Amino acid sequence: MRDRGLIQTTRQLFLLLAGFAIAGVLLESGGLANWAQGLEIGPLRTVAVPVTQAVQSAVQPLGLGAIRKGTLENLARVGWSDDSALTARVNNEESAGAGESATASKETQRADTHGPTPVKTPKHSEHALGAATPLAADVPVTMELPQLPEAEPGKPRVVALAGDSMMAVGLSAELLRQAAGDKNLHFVKAYRSGTGLARPEVFNWMEQYPAMIGSAKPDVVIVAIGANDGQGFVVDGKVLKCGSDEWRAVYQQRLADYLAMVEADGARVVWMALPPMRIPVYNAKIAMINRIAYTVVSQNPQATWWNPVRYIGDASGRFREFTTLSDGKTIRVRATDGIHLSDEGAGLVTPMLLKWLDPPTPMQQASAPAATQESVHATEAPTHEDGGGARQPQGRGHSKGQPQPDGGL
Amino acid sequence: MLFPTVQYMLFFLAVLVIAWSLYRYRETHKAFLLAASYLFYGFWNWAYVPLLFGISLYSGFVAQRIQDSEASWTKKRWLIAGVMVCLATLGYYKYTAFALTTLLTMWGRFAPPPAIPISSPLLPLGVSFFVFHAISLLGDSYRGKLKERVKLLDVLLYVSFFPQLIAGPILRASRFLPQLAERRNPNTLRVNRAFLLIVGGLFKKVIISNMLATRLVEPVFAVPQSYGGWDTLLAIYGYAAQIYCDFSGYTDIAIGCALLLGYKFPRNFNAPYTAVSPQDFWRRWHISLSTWLRDYLYIPLGGSRKGKLRTYINLMVTMLLGGLWHGAAWTFVVWGGLHGLYLVVHRLWARVRWQPLARMRATAAWRWASRLLLFHAVCAGWIFFRASSFEIAFTMFQRLAVPGAATLATGPILLVLFLGLAGQYMPTRWRNGLELEMGMWPALVRGAALAMAISAIEFLGPSGVAPFIYFQF
Repeated sequence: MRDRGLIQTTRQLFLLLAGFAIAGVLLESGGLANWAQGLEIGPLRTVAVPVTQAVQSAVQPLGLGAIRKGTLENLARVGWSDDSALTARVNNEESAGAGESATASKETQRADTHGPTPVKTPKHSEHALGAATPLAADVPVTMELPQLPEAEPGKPRVVALAGDSMMAVGLSAELLRQAAGDKNLHFVKAYRSGTGLARPEVFNWMEQYPAMIGSAKPDVVIVAIGANDGQGFVVDGKVLKCGSDEWRAVYQQRLADYLAMVEADGARVVWMALPPMRIPVYNAKIAMINRIAYTVVSQNPQATWWNPVRYIGDASGRFREFTTLSDGKTIRVRATDGIHLSDEGAGLVTPMLLKWLDPPTPMQQASAPAATQESVHATEAPTHEDGGGARQPQGRGHSKGQPQPDGGL
Repeated sequence: MLFPTVQYMLFFLAVLVIAWSLYRYRETHKAFLLAASYLFYGFWNWAYVPLLFGISLYSGFVAQRIQDSEASWTKKRWLIAGVMVCLATLGYYKYTAFALTTLLTMWGRFAPPPAIPISSPLLPLGVSFFVFHAISLLGDSYRGKLKERVKLLDVLLYVSFFPQLIAGPILRASRFLPQLAERRNPNTLRVNRAFLLIVGGLFKKVIISNMLATRLVEPVFAVPQSYGGWDTLLAIYGYAAQIYCDFSGYTDIAIGCALLLGYKFPRNFNAPYTAVSPQDFWRRWHISLSTWLRDYLYIPLGGSRKGKLRTYINLMVTMLLGGLWHGAAWTFVVWGGLHGLYLVVHRLWARVRWQPLARMRATAAWRWASRLLLFHAVCAGWIFFRASSFEIAFTMFQRLAVPGAATLATGPILLVLFLGLAGQYMPTRWRNGLELEMGMWPALVRGAALAMAISAIEFLGPSGVAPFIYFQF
C-alpha cells in the first residue's frame, strides 16, 4: 500500500517539477542567461552559459522577453525599481516624450526644476588584449591630500561617495554621520555592495554611476572599490585568469575608464587603497588590485591615492582586527568578515577626510581644544596621534580617542 | 548558498529528485541527505564542515553514553560534559572577542591595557543553531524523551539537516529523530502546503524584507541625524516588518523544503505582531527559540516554581542570555533585558485583580490597545537590536521628536510596509482554502503556477540578494 503511495507521490512530484521547469524556462530564460553570465569563471559557468543561451534563443520567438522588458520599465516608472540606470533611462524617455509637445523654454524650465537631467552613459574603451603597462612595485602609504579650491560662498561642496561595499559598509555611514548638519558639504551616494569593475556584464558602473549621481556635479569623488575584483572574466570569448598579463591589461583599462568617468566635469578624486585583509590568499589579490589602481591613479593629475593603512592596519601595515584608543577603549577596527571596516574602524579615518573637505575656519581652530590644535593638517604625513582635528562634527566622532602609536594590541 | 538564489534552486531540485528516488532505502536516503547537507554548508566555507561534523558526532556519542548509563549521577556527568563542550565551542567562536574587548576596555579606564594581540575566530555560519541542536539532543536524552537508542547517522543528520542548518527553526531531538526512524507514509506529504510556504517565504524575503531594508531601514539607521521624526518612525516600523519578513520568510522556506523532502519542522512564527501581551508575543515569535530557552534554561533555573521574586529573576536571566545568544554586543543584551522587563511588568500587571479592570480587559478595544502598546514596546526593542551602537539607538529615539517631512514614504515603500505588518492579520482559512483549491489542479499546472509565482517575485524584488538577518547569529 505504502509502495503504491510512494510511486504515486513520486509521480506527482516529478510531474509537478516538469511543469515548474517548463514554465520556469519560458518565463525566466532571460533571467537564467543573466544569472549564468554573472557566475564566477569556473566549470559551472562554462556549462551554464551555453545552455542558458541556447534556451534563451529557443524561447525568444515567443516574445516573452519583450513583455518582461516592458513590465520592468513600467515598474521603474512607478518608482518600484532599484535599478538606477533603468529608472534614469525611463525617465529620460518620458521627459523626451513630454518635450516633443512642449515649447523649448518650458522644457528647459522643467529640466532645471523637476525633471531628471538626461544621463549620458559613457562606455568602456575597446579592450585590445595585450600586455599591461608595468605596475608600480608597491603602493605608498600616503595620506597626503592636495588642497582643494575654495568653495563658493553659500554653496556646499558636493562630494560623491562611490564604490562597492568597501564604501557602502562602515565608511559611507560614518562619513555621513560625522558630517551630519554640516551645511558646507553635500553628499551624493554612488555606491553599491557586491559590485566591482572586473565584471561590467554583471554590474556596469559606466551606466550606473551617471544614473546614481543624476544631475549632481560632484566637486570631489571619494572612491573605495575593487574588493570583489580578484576574479577572472571573459573578453571576446576568451577566459582571462585573474592576475594574468591580459587580465591586468583589461582590468587596468576598465579602472582607467571608471576614473575618467568620475572625474568628468573637473571633480577631484580621492582613491582609497583597499585595506589589508584577514585571509592571506585574499590579501594577495587585494595587494595586486591596489598596485593596479595606484598605477592608474598616480598617472592622473586630478586623482589622489590615499592609503590610511597606518590607521587601519598594524604598525607594519598588516591586518589588524582590534586596536586600543588613547582613551583606553578597545575597539573593533574591522568587521567580523575580516574584509570591511567596522563603523568604529571607519571612524578612525573619516575625521581626516572631513577636515580636508571642509577645513575648520580660523575661529573654529581657535576655539578647538589645545590638544586637537596641535594635530597635523590632513595634507601632512600622518602620525598616530593625528586624526581628531579641530572639526566638531554634529554626528558621532572619535575625538575621545585615537589609535595607539605602536598599533595597540 | 542562500535560499532565494538559482544555485539553491538547482541544488534543491537535484536533492529532491535523488532523495525521493532513494526513499525506499532509508539508510542510503539519510546518508545522501547528510552528504547534501555538508555540501550545502561547504558552499559557504569547507573549513568549518569538520567543526559541524565534530559537534554532531560528539553530541551523538555523549547522548548514547547518557542513554546507556543507569545511575542518574553518571547520566548527569555525561550531560554536563556534553553541554560544557557545546557551550565552550559557542563561547569560543562567538564571544571571545566580545569578552576580551569588554575586559580590556574596562582595564583601560584605570590603566593602559596590556599590549596583547587579539583576534576573533571567524564565526562559523549557523553555529548558534547547530550548537543548540546538539544541546537539545543531550537534554532530551537525559530526560528520557528519546524512546530508542540514538543512531549516529540520525544524529549527524539531525544536527546538519540543510533546510534548518543556518538559521533554524531549532528542532527538538525528541520530535525529529523519530521522523528519521520511521518510514513515513508518502500519501501524507502536503506538497501544496510546502509550495505555498516556499512562495510566501520568498515573497516576504525578496520583496518585503529586501525593499524595506535597502530603501528605508538602512539609510535611516546608518545616519539617523539626517532624518526627521516621520522618517525615523517609518524606519522603525520598517525594521519591525523587515525582520519579521526576513526571518519568518527564511523559516517558511526551510519548513517548505523539509516538507517536500518528507520531514515536518515545527512552526516558528504565528503572527507575532497580533500578540496582546509580552508572553503572548514570545509564544508567537521565534517559537522554536523561546520554547528552547523555556525548556533548557528557564525551567532548569527553577521557572515559576520558586516564588515570585525568583520567577522574575529567572525571566530576566533567560531573556538577557537570549539577547546575548543573538549577538555578542551589549545592544543585544539590552534588547533581551527590555523583553525580560516587559515580561516581568506584565506579570505584575496581570496580578491586579480589580473587577472593573478585569471587565475592561475582556473588551475588544482593550485588546487592540494592548496590541498597539505591545507593538510599540517591541519596536523600541528593535531599535537596540538593529542599531550598531548605543549612540545610534539613542539618536533614533531623539530623532522621533524632530519635525520633518516623511521623505522616504514613497508609494512602493508604504505598500510593502503595509503588507509586512498587516499581512499577519490574514485569516489562516485563506491559505488553507488555496491549498485545497490547488489540490484539485493537475500536477503540471501546479508546477507551472509555482514557476509563475517565483518569476513574479524575482521580477518585483530588488536586484541582488541580501543575506538573511539571522545568518549572523
